[in-house]
Amino acid sequence: MTYVRDDLRPVQRRLGVLLLLILLALGVLAARLWVLQVLQHPQWRKLAESNRLRRVPLEAPRGTVTDIHGEILLDNRPAFQLLIFPEEMKDLRETAEFLASIGIGPVAEVENRLRKAQRTSYLPSVIADNLTFAQVAAIAAHRAEHKELEVHPTTRRRVPLGPVVAHVVGQLGEVTPEQWAGNPRLRPGQLVGRSGLERAYQDILGGEQGNVVVVVDALGRQVSTLDEEKPVPGKPLTVTLDLSLQREAAAALGAQVGAVVALEPRSGAVRVLLSQPAFEPDLFAGHLEPKKWRELVSDPLHPLNNRALQALYPPGSTIKPLYAAAALASGVRTPSQWVTCTGAVTIYGHPYRCWLKGGHGPVALEEAIEVSCDTYFYYLARDAGIERLASWARLFGLGSPTGIELPGEVGGLVPDDAWSRRVRNQPWYAGETISVGIGQGPILVTPLQLAVAYAAFVNGGFLVTPHLVEGQGKPPRPVELPAEALAAARRGMERVVLGSRGTARRLRALPVGVAGKTGTAQVIRKKEGVTWRELPWEQRHHALFVGYGPVDNPVLVVAVVVEHGGDAASVAAPVAGRILAKALGVPSEVAAQLLVAEVSLPEATAAGGGEGP
Amino acid sequence: MRRLDLWLVLAVLFIAAASFLAQSSTAQALERPTLAYRQMVWLLVAVGMMVVVGMLDYRVIARFWPPLYAGSLLVLAITLLVAPLRAGTRSWLVFGTFTVQPSEFARVVVLVALAAVAATHQQGLLSTRKSLELVALAAVPMGLVLLQPDLGVALSFLPALAAVFWLGGLRLRVWLLLAVVAVATSVLVFFALLKPYQKERILTFLEPERAPYTAGYQQRQAKIAVGSGGLTGKGLKSGTQSQLRFLPAQGTDFIFAVWAEETGFVGSLSLLFAYGLLLFRIFYAGLLARDRLGLLLCGGVGAVLGAQVLVNIGMNLGLAPTTGITLPLLSYGGSSTLATGLALGLVQSVWRLRFANL
Repeated sequence: MTYVRDDLRPVQRRLGVLLLLILLALGVLAARLWVLQVLQHPQWRKLAESNRLRRVPLEAPRGTVTDIHGEILLDNRPAFQLLIFPEEMKDLRETAEFLASIGIGPVAEVENRLRKAQRTSYLPSVIADNLTFAQVAAIAAHRAEHKELEVHPTTRRRVPLGPVVAHVVGQLGEVTPEQWAGNPRLRPGQLVGRSGLERAYQDILGGEQGNVVVVVDALGRQVSTLDEEKPVPGKPLTVTLDLSLQREAAAALGAQVGAVVALEPRSGAVRVLLSQPAFEPDLFAGHLEPKKWRELVSDPLHPLNNRALQALYPPGSTIKPLYAAAALASGVRTPSQWVTCTGAVTIYGHPYRCWLKGGHGPVALEEAIEVSCDTYFYYLARDAGIERLASWARLFGLGSPTGIELPGEVGGLVPDDAWSRRVRNQPWYAGETISVGIGQGPILVTPLQLAVAYAAFVNGGFLVTPHLVEGQGKPPRPVELPAEALAAARRGMERVVLGSRGTARRLRALPVGVAGKTGTAQVIRKKEGVTWRELPWEQRHHALFVGYGPVDNPVLVVAVVVEHGGDAASVAAPVAGRILAKALGVPSEVAAQLLVAEVSLPEATAAGGGEGP
Repeated sequence: MRRLDLWLVLAVLFIAAASFLAQSSTAQALERPTLAYRQMVWLLVAVGMMVVVGMLDYRVIARFWPPLYAGSLLVLAITLLVAPLRAGTRSWLVFGTFTVQPSEFARVVVLVALAAVAATHQQGLLSTRKSLELVALAAVPMGLVLLQPDLGVALSFLPALAAVFWLGGLRLRVWLLLAVVAVATSVLVFFALLKPYQKERILTFLEPERAPYTAGYQQRQAKIAVGSGGLTGKGLKSGTQSQLRFLPAQGTDFIFAVWAEETGFVGSLSLLFAYGLLLFRIFYAGLLARDRLGLLLCGGVGAVLGAQVLVNIGMNLGLAPTTGITLPLLSYGGSSTLATGLALGLVQSVWRLRFANL
């Protein structure tokens, strides 16, 4: 069969159109090539580089912290952490499920962490640390499917003393985006100090992260190393703490809730800084599980709070020596001026009671401190007025932070008329002045502030800046009170221990002379005729004691607050006594007797309606 | 021999050389050194086939379209029955170490059949009846390929049909009918036949930020490879995207990206030019063909190869969705290379006999 010759011209025309269309399309491809390979080349080259080059951070080991005797407070132990390269992640859910299956955490939580890592750009982030060997092996076995994951050897913080120093050491936490954006030395996911010494001395302890640039293939295998920048380890730090005293404080406080601060009075060097209840610092050495975190945060006893500098307590009778010294200096009182205490007094038409029902009889200044006579200080407060009381409290540093290096310190509250008008929107009520005169009412202090105030009595009248690292803080500044005034208050405090009616007579058991002042801070108004042991725990008074020793040349000031301890003399004073005993070389058998003592009456509260109706 | 189109041979040889170089790079990346040499053998055989078929008379070949067509259907049917499941499809017949993809050859046979049938209609536009015959001729083998299932190859039959329709000329009402059928079919295919990953590919192409780490990943890696090649490339066997295996399917679907990464804009534009030359010579042969059959054959071959080139390179440059369509002669694969050689042989035959008065 043959084909008839036909007119091909229209068909050829259409063939020509087709050819033109195809050549036109090829032209489009050529233009696209020009765009990709010439115009956008730098951008694509960068992407190719980030494909094959990985910056793996080399974590710097953090610095070790030791106490004055060289005992280790904080060091490191080896651990494995898990890094994620968000750019490599194909399916977030799938990765999260894999990680959950090997026990990194619940799926939803891992997903959250991965999402966070994705947001922080192409840099690798730490997803988990403290991996077990089984987890390390499981990740290594699945590296072909999960090239976004990388196990990285690192170190983890170790706190040998555990909860005993938890608050001083503080916590590490993941660096916040604001932090790493402003600091080229920090990287997403890196752990930095969040609180305590870890935060205060982050710059010293943190060192500098290094990094290594590696070439990886599409399976995430490391092909070669291009460039390595070694990490600079954190520097060691010596703190002024004395861990033997810290341990003694923890042992003496036992399971009680409260805080202990001990200072070297001349320099302000902190020897003991204890807050209870505490937490296991290892929980914070890496990435904390939200569940644990919620547990800690919702605990009604607030174990994360460093009570020594973040909790506020009414000072109770521990404020009396401060007022006494200032009253002498300003002439509101003379040393020999006496007051007769009958157990109750009516001022501004309201009854105020002394803690001792029968009254103390005639008392002058030193004796008023010895027996903690409330009546004496009610009159003193009335004669001074709130403005002078407030200025006296401020003389000793109350009402503002002491300036210790640790973050989060609170300043407390020294009330006056201006404060009342500003905060409560009402003028100061004169009756409250009487309560403030015995350290009750709105006046609030931290245990650390009490220790600093008492240090001023025994270091020649200087307000020191408490510190944990030698040479830190502002130089001491004078309290501006005459030496005789301070000495008189000091004699009163010696009589607290040595006097026949002293409220802390049990400290006489120590073979070295110690002195101090008890304080019982009211939590709620106490009912008539009910002893503190009969009250539920949370309604008992706070027990305070601030003391020092040896009396002729004090080397240590100790402030103790036992929350709801009920009775200062039997609960707080022995704790301080045991720390002083330990510091002054008293044999531990002798010191141990201190807590065995019987309970005495609660003292120094406006017992039974001291604050009026 | 001297009456073959040497320009076309030159274009083929340039593309073949590029293919060998690019395949050598891929072979190194995949640590399978024999790949490049095997492809070189296929290329040489394909050139040989082009010459042999070129020496034959395309009119004689076209006369034998019914047995060729029937044979193709038979082989496709057998393939469906005996082919092992590989990568989710039954597309390959296995003979020891050799594998053959019958659909690649079937496409050439369908092309011949379409041209032969359409060429019998010599005056004016194609009749409606003839048009339906042509649709049926293409639809049966396409259906068999769809059953494998290999959507990419099945769709690659369409350019031949479209070319024959376009060149033969259709009545307006048939164009409209076809448009309606095409839209309906593609909607049906999208919702009823496509696998989720295939849908994802199309959606990803339409909206690239949709899934940067899943379906868009391959295309993104290809674009990174092409773009990072720059003006002059990273050097042969030195492309980081291919050597570190970031580039997927780099011997087949994304071979162009390998070439573009290593030879840069200069190399990839040269390759584009070679394909342009190849297609131009194919269409030129069609323009000079002595009869309608020759013209339709050349138009069909040009449309099929042109569509493959445009879709594949478009896919490498992020202009078309990932479909698994290979780049003729450059992609690794015996069946596709040999089938291309056969198709070009037909064109050579048309060229050689353009003045023959037989």
